[in-house]
Amino acid sequence: MPKKYDLGRRLQMVCIALVFAISGSPLQLMAQQAPSPQESDRQVLLDRIAALEKELSARENSPETLTASAGPPGQAPAAQGSAVTGRVANVQGGVVANADISLGPWTPAMPGMKMTPAAQRTAKSTADGSFSFTQVPPGQYVLQVDAPGFERSSQEITVPTTAPINVRMDILEVPGAETTTPGGGGTADTQFLLERIKTLEERLNALEASTVLSEPETRVKRVEVYVDKNGNETDQAVPGATKKVTYQRERVYRRQTINEKIEDALSEQEKRSVKVGVSAAVIPQFAVQTKGEPAEADGHAYLLANADLFFTAKIAQHTLFYADVVGISGTPPDLEVPTLTLLNGFTARLVRQNELNLREAWLRTELFKQRLALSAGRLDLTNYFDHNAVANDETSQFLSDALVNNPALGLAVNGSGFAAVYDPKKSFNFKIGLQQSNPDATSLSDSLFTLAEVGYFLNPFKIGQGNYRFWYRVNNGARTTGPGGEPIDNSDRHQTAFGVSFDQRLSPTLTLGGRFGAPQSTAVSGRDKFYSGALQFRNHLIFNPADYWAVGYSQLNLKAGDREQLVEGYYNFQIAEKFKLSFHVTHVLESRVGAPKAGFLVPGIRLQASF
Amino acid sequence: MSRSTLFIAACTLAAIVGGAAATVALPAAEVKVADPTSVVMIVNRDSNDISFMDIKTKKIVGRTFLGNNVNPHMVMMSPDGRYVVTGGTRANKAYIIDARTLELVKIIPTDIAPEHLAFSPDGRWYYQGNPEGDSISVIDMLSLTKIKTIPGLKEPLNVTFLPDGSKAYVGNYGAHWVGVIDVRRHELLKKIQIAGVPGVAKLDPDRYLAELHGINIAAPTNDGKYLYAADGDLGVVGVIDPREDKVVKVIRVGPDPWRIYMSHDGKYAITPNNGDETISIIDLNSQKVAATLEAGPNMTGVNFAAGKAFVISSTSGFVYVYNMQTLKPAGRIKIGTNIQLETATTDTADQKIYLAESTTHSVVIIDAKTETFEKVGNVGLFPWGTHIMDSKDNYCH
Repeated sequence: MPKKYDLGRRLQMVCIALVFAISGSPLQLMAQQAPSPQESDRQVLLDRIAALEKELSARENSPETLTASAGPPGQAPAAQGSAVTGRVANVQGGVVANADISLGPWTPAMPGMKMTPAAQRTAKSTADGSFSFTQVPPGQYVLQVDAPGFERSSQEITVPTTAPINVRMDILEVPGAETTTPGGGGTADTQFLLERIKTLEERLNALEASTVLSEPETRVKRVEVYVDKNGNETDQAVPGATKKVTYQRERVYRRQTINEKIEDALSEQEKRSVKVGVSAAVIPQFAVQTKGEPAEADGHAYLLANADLFFTAKIAQHTLFYADVVGISGTPPDLEVPTLTLLNGFTARLVRQNELNLREAWLRTELFKQRLALSAGRLDLTNYFDHNAVANDETSQFLSDALVNNPALGLAVNGSGFAAVYDPKKSFNFKIGLQQSNPDATSLSDSLFTLAEVGYFLNPFKIGQGNYRFWYRVNNGARTTGPGGEPIDNSDRHQTAFGVSFDQRLSPTLTLGGRFGAPQSTAVSGRDKFYSGALQFRNHLIFNPADYWAVGYSQLNLKAGDREQLVEGYYNFQIAEKFKLSFHVTHVLESRVGAPKAGFLVPGIRLQASF
Repeated sequence: MSRSTLFIAACTLAAIVGGAAATVALPAAEVKVADPTSVVMIVNRDSNDISFMDIKTKKIVGRTFLGNNVNPHMVMMSPDGRYVVTGGTRANKAYIIDARTLELVKIIPTDIAPEHLAFSPDGRWYYQGNPEGDSISVIDMLSLTKIKTIPGLKEPLNVTFLPDGSKAYVGNYGAHWVGVIDVRRHELLKKIQIAGVPGVAKLDPDRYLAELHGINIAAPTNDGKYLYAADGDLGVVGVIDPREDKVVKVIRVGPDPWRIYMSHDGKYAITPNNGDETISIIDLNSQKVAATLEAGPNMTGVNFAAGKAFVISSTSGFVYVYNMQTLKPAGRIKIGTNIQLETATTDTADQKIYLAESTTHSVVIIDAKTETFEKVGNVGLFPWGTHIMDSKDNYCH
């Protein structure tokens, strides 16, 4: 008795130590305080053995022990089969009675097979743990034994067997589950309890090494409940109750490692913070005149440095605040090279040298299952339209503005405005927006730029994705005076333009992009014409896997007679995830009415960091 | 009779008496699932159990509790329908459940953090991957014992077997190679590197020396002729010829592909690219990217049904839909707001998708044809994944 008590107490203390360890309190010494086992009383044991011998003898002679087998009682073994006999015991050697035993062939799974046929023979172990199957044909079988509180025992046997099969059953331990008393436990065994202590101590060490030692977590969850007019709340719908959303706490047994805890905390913090992004570029360029009368720009070098600071914050459900502050300084070639479009797309941002300007500050919210996005504030309306996959971004693609934007869109400045984008993520999408087009105007009515676009997704002949767009715009603030300088009516102020744009992937390496635009001329009656096209290559003729390169051509024909032809090629090195270096070569040819043609070769480099 | 014999006899007899007393009150286990194909298995991370939902009635017909803080990760039915198995990530054990009675019948110690698992085609071997132990535990489903631990892997996530069961392929998320295992000896035979790290990697240690996103799975084509393995950091899919165990082609896809998923008709494969929130559709015939389409953030799975692909965007609450005939976007299904979608399985008729939604402890059943859905709640705490026997979309994340 003292032995059993001491071991049980030691076991209990280890369990307590586990609980304390989980809650963060070290309790290492307690498990070492258990006293050593004492000797059993020899005479008492011998008396007990004598009594048990008597009882054992009586049981061995009882008929139920002899007949507890799978085969019919008293049946002689058939000539073509042999018997399979054995005994079921626990790890201490104690017998396990009434165990479920099955004997059947093991069949490999076959395609389409839903269930393996049930074991052909079943039996239960007798009171002394023995079992037998008679008339078992020779072959390979699987012998399985189940007993409450024990793990399943499964083994392959070959019939005929040469000896009885001893089946050892391990206790099934499920922490937190209701305890099931294993059958056949019999007496508490010293070795068994010591092994259990050792297992628990190992488990304690594993927990300390790999987990956050914490109580089970409590988390707040959003739940849907049903509430009737009296405020009675139920989990299921009942007559008179309406569905409501509420929040309640629940307890979970999720043990996390320290790393996971830290990641969760950082992630939660990030969600609530204002995110800051930086996009900085340095662009040296050179101008070499190739045609025409000598110009001031010939042989000159230029350098432009630009830095954008982005701020984004989630302020409500599906609602975002965004601001872009830009600082730009330097001398772009556009101040000296006489071109119809900008040779450096960054020049468009240059409002004032060495000053910070708020380019954009807007709110966006998404409605109707996030199909409709509404943006309002100070914005660049052209950002929402004519998204060409190969020619849309001066920070990562072409430098020339003619290959970044469609000049026919005709909006050079940012201003207060509104944009709505309806995108059901199917083939069609629709966009509409309006913006103040003239910062000097005293009312929006005098400077309203309105733009609408229809986009269509196409995958022709399954060669790859293609995006096709048609847009139309009206600007009532583009001109306020007629050709002779006289004031004009509101109805005459309206200038319209339309255009198309597409980008089509032709192969995994090649994407083709193109644009066309036709704005009303500001100088004469009629429309100017703009065309551009570009080819972008990825995964082909590159130095590094993420590199890409492209060539593009644009042509602007003004109704008044002026014309510009521009070609640009670039190669972009993706040096690091946040750092790019690209080499550009641009040639532009200008034809002005009454002036000789002028050509310039403009090589340049762009260093771009974004993070 | 010697004294020791006497002692044994005494113990035996005592055990008989005690055993009889202990087993009298315990009823025989009842059969709860007669047909293993009739249920959806749901692995519940925080309630530490596996729940079984009847496909027809949508009712939970049973739960098997595994133990506190077990945190099961992936559940799977054995090919013969006899057992349900799962790895307990925090308990470092494999759990074997009788598929008929839903009783836990065996707990087997594994290596550290067992997560994804697979069965050999004949059902004999249960390979349990241990990502934090860098090993695979080999469990004999006949003896229900662990017979071996295969070391030398690097964060092994998913294991796939050749149809003849001779070799298994292991995706190592902590490396850029696929491990080839000789299933007869349960030994690592070979490492197949999908692609080399680009030379500029040394200029970007933050990316290449920080957390590694390697290979999640080497997924076999329907005919078993090739295996496709996406590498997250390298943004490529390597095509492996299993006859020679070599890479025969490297296909560039979008940045940070999570893994590759095979369409049921064997024509296409899809990689969700979490780096730029797109998917790449690969034509398995030409072994080229047929389309790169816009998708959502934090994609965790792709299911195929009714001629469409359903891409799970975990944190956005959307399932993106794509027409697999035209290879065009076909809309998106909004499951909810402020929820987290996990992974899903598809029924064998390719009609319904069973998606685990952990925030509200639900399984979302999507009708693939109509794109409508219904929720079954209270399936267990933090359902992490689902599984249907013989489904072609049984995966985990």
